[in-house]
Amino acid sequence: MEAVPTLDAGLETGGLSPWQLGLRRFKKGRLGLFAFWIVTFFFFVAIFAPIIVRVLNVDPYALDRASLNDYGLPKGPLGSMSWNHPLGVEPGTGRDILGRLIYGSRLSLIIGTVGTVLSTAFGVLLGIVAGLRRGWVDSLISRIGDVALAFPSLLLIIALANPMTQRLESWGVPKGNTAKLTYILAILTIFGWVYMARLVRGQVLSLRERDFVEAARSFGAGTGHLVFKQLLPNLWPQIIIFVAMSLPGYVSLEATLSFLGVGFQAPTASWGIMLGDSVRYYRADTAYLFIPGGALLILVLGFNLLADGLRDAFDPRSDRQQL
Amino acid sequence: MKRNRIIAALAAAGIFLSACGGSGMGAQSGEESGGRSASLDGTQDGGTLHVLTVQEGASTLDPQRVYTGAELGAWGSTFTRTLTSYQPVAGEDGTNLVADMATDLGTASDDLKSWTFTLRDGLTWEDGSEVTCADIAYGVSRTFAAEVTAGEGPMYALSYLNIPEGDSDFGSAYPGPWLADEEQQALFDEAVQCDGQTITFNLQVPVADFNYTVGLLAFAPVPKDKDTADQYGLAPFSNGPFRVESYEEGVEMVLVRNENWNADSDTVRKPLLDKIIWQFGVDEAVIDERMLADAGEDKNTIVYGGILPENLQTVFGDDSLKDRRTDGFDGFVSYTMFNVETVNCLEIRQAVWLALDREALRTAAGGPFTGEFAKSFVAPLLAADYEPAKLVDGLNEDGTANVEAAVAKMEKAKEACPELHARATGEGLRFDHPDSVTWQKNIAIWIDSLGAAGIKIIDNPIEPSKYYATINGDRGDLMRAGWAADWANASTVIPELFAEDGGFNYHSNEGDPAFAAFQTKIDQAKAETDRSEQSKLWKELNQYVMDQVWSIPGSATKSQNLVGSNVRGAYQWKPFGWYNLGAIGLAG
Repeated sequence: MEAVPTLDAGLETGGLSPWQLGLRRFKKGRLGLFAFWIVTFFFFVAIFAPIIVRVLNVDPYALDRASLNDYGLPKGPLGSMSWNHPLGVEPGTGRDILGRLIYGSRLSLIIGTVGTVLSTAFGVLLGIVAGLRRGWVDSLISRIGDVALAFPSLLLIIALANPMTQRLESWGVPKGNTAKLTYILAILTIFGWVYMARLVRGQVLSLRERDFVEAARSFGAGTGHLVFKQLLPNLWPQIIIFVAMSLPGYVSLEATLSFLGVGFQAPTASWGIMLGDSVRYYRADTAYLFIPGGALLILVLGFNLLADGLRDAFDPRSDRQQL
Repeated sequence: MKRNRIIAALAAAGIFLSACGGSGMGAQSGEESGGRSASLDGTQDGGTLHVLTVQEGASTLDPQRVYTGAELGAWGSTFTRTLTSYQPVAGEDGTNLVADMATDLGTASDDLKSWTFTLRDGLTWEDGSEVTCADIAYGVSRTFAAEVTAGEGPMYALSYLNIPEGDSDFGSAYPGPWLADEEQQALFDEAVQCDGQTITFNLQVPVADFNYTVGLLAFAPVPKDKDTADQYGLAPFSNGPFRVESYEEGVEMVLVRNENWNADSDTVRKPLLDKIIWQFGVDEAVIDERMLADAGEDKNTIVYGGILPENLQTVFGDDSLKDRRTDGFDGFVSYTMFNVETVNCLEIRQAVWLALDREALRTAAGGPFTGEFAKSFVAPLLAADYEPAKLVDGLNEDGTANVEAAVAKMEKAKEACPELHARATGEGLRFDHPDSVTWQKNIAIWIDSLGAAGIKIIDNPIEPSKYYATINGDRGDLMRAGWAADWANASTVIPELFAEDGGFNYHSNEGDPAFAAFQTKIDQAKAETDRSEQSKLWKELNQYVMDQVWSIPGSATKSQNLVGSNVRGAYQWKPFGWYNLGAIGLAG
């Protein structure tokens, strides 16, 4: 981002924005950087899944009867791990677990990122509006937020899944998984914006009284200038931390929902479906149990560590910060 | 025509689906050994047997409404007696019909349109009062009450008894004991006549094996003054060796000994236990764990359900469980129905059959343990009417797909029915199935194997408890189901599944050009009184259905079970595909 000349910061930090400052600090934290690479790795795998699957020759949809015994369970040890199937095969069908894991990461990350981006965008927008306008607009947005928070959203997602996806399908959203995905993202956005909005509103309320904002206003700056040039640059650190912190929750939500049976349809590969399936085979095929669970653990841990690193770097009140 | 019971449970792994119970008669190799547990050696008198089940409750305890194989057997052997029953032994003899409340197997008139049974002396209800002929007639009349039985039980009373058609909800002139006026009641009393200890059933069609029909609990007695209509299924009045002490859905049902049961009047039941406690809603994985651990009370435990496919290897790979496990056909045949109205092209139906990898489906279900590839819609257990049909040309014996033959059929279909061909290869055929973890894999196999022949599948999972209700109204192109005979006659299979008035016909096949000839032959077979002639007709009709591919046969299914180490006398009772509770004892 372009360095924004702000009135208060310029003197002490040599013209660096809070964003640049934070980035500089973040690069010094080893754990955070490590987590960053883990997360990047998962995104890389998800984005290039079709190519990776072809290179490794692990088709997530191909059945492999030959790797199963007469009980329909994987033949070899550790869920039939071999060069052909590095992480073994799925009991019953013989589909490659690595391939399904790779494809499954797409769903988790799509829900995680799109869900976070949408709810963050709404949160920031409503937060700024509430903070700037104050008065009845603020009251209205805050009360709506309170109501949204009071809803047991996970229960709601489960209860309304079938009727609402059908409604969406009748409105012309492509049937099946697209409708489900749309529904889940919509619910996430409707209930997910509140925390972000509260955070931003608080920040805006304090920022708008600061000298540099007052100054800009006294020079006759419009709302657009205030928001984009004065407020947002100072909000970015909070937003980044918040995004990093809410991502793992959304990522594991896909698994939770699929596990509970509200998730996606076969033959789509999804970590939640794999988790639910593997639990059944914990006695007959223990290795299978650890794979989707382990992948989810690493990804969520990566996001959490990343969020920690970012908070250390960007949050001026954090005690672990150096500099 | 027992319905394939759906056990739906929101367990940790999601929703699973299983068939249990069933019926089948005739010769069958004795595979249901059960080892030591099947014999009664060293049993004590008394004790409490526990039954674990994943179900939240019984489907019903109401004799006129129950229709699940295992429940028919369980209620019949404990608290609901019928005129006839089955010989209480393991193996094929278990399908022999024996007299129960009646003194013999009944007497038929020469035209087979009138059947007479004489009641034994000393039949008693749980309050000590006598079971009368009127109680039986009253019980049978309840089947006609649509507002009470809701068509859940078997409908043979409606189709067989000589009562004219009319405008009741079931299309009969008699609307059941609650709504009937005197005139209507007279119609029923004419069809079912009581004379002292003798009960006579007058039929509108000749039925050669009506004495099997009265073995169904739908023909069991109900005392009129104890009848609580649609609440009767929660607390039925007992005339057997046990009575229902308490029944709470989702929790448990307790059966205790009925002190007023007269052992002298009963040659079928030899009760040893004091108490039977059904525990409902136990997680299916937990059931298997507890049975394998075999600790404490679980030693005195049996399971209503079956072993989860993922645990079959554990159970059958371990020789120390040899005496506690059972394995055998359950009398069901699973199949995939076509909606013949929308898939109105024989070549396409044949192509689907040829392309389907049945071997992969069976492997996903747990391998050869789960059943043998079916060659008839009649289960092999029903030996009299069973004959392997000639299947579609080119079908692989080992159950794998014959893609080449399927592609060739699709080529033919392109010319024969271009519209449907375009839909099958473009948009795809819709497959309705109950939503479950197992079906997520099954549907993947369908999509994969049919895809190889260029046929696309649209997956349409339906909530398991609403499955049959849903496909009753809104049918896709393909649907799954399972069925078992009610007694040793394919009249309870082929007409039920494929004919015009079939109670379980979801094929929408009435518009098929081949249907008229089929229906004519069905009517002919139903009216045939020579059993061997009739059996020949059933075999021909089965072949006819195979040729038309209205349905694709899946497997003649088997079921496996594990009992606690103290349980004795637990054999699979063939007609019901489950244990005979009236014979189980516990080791002393």
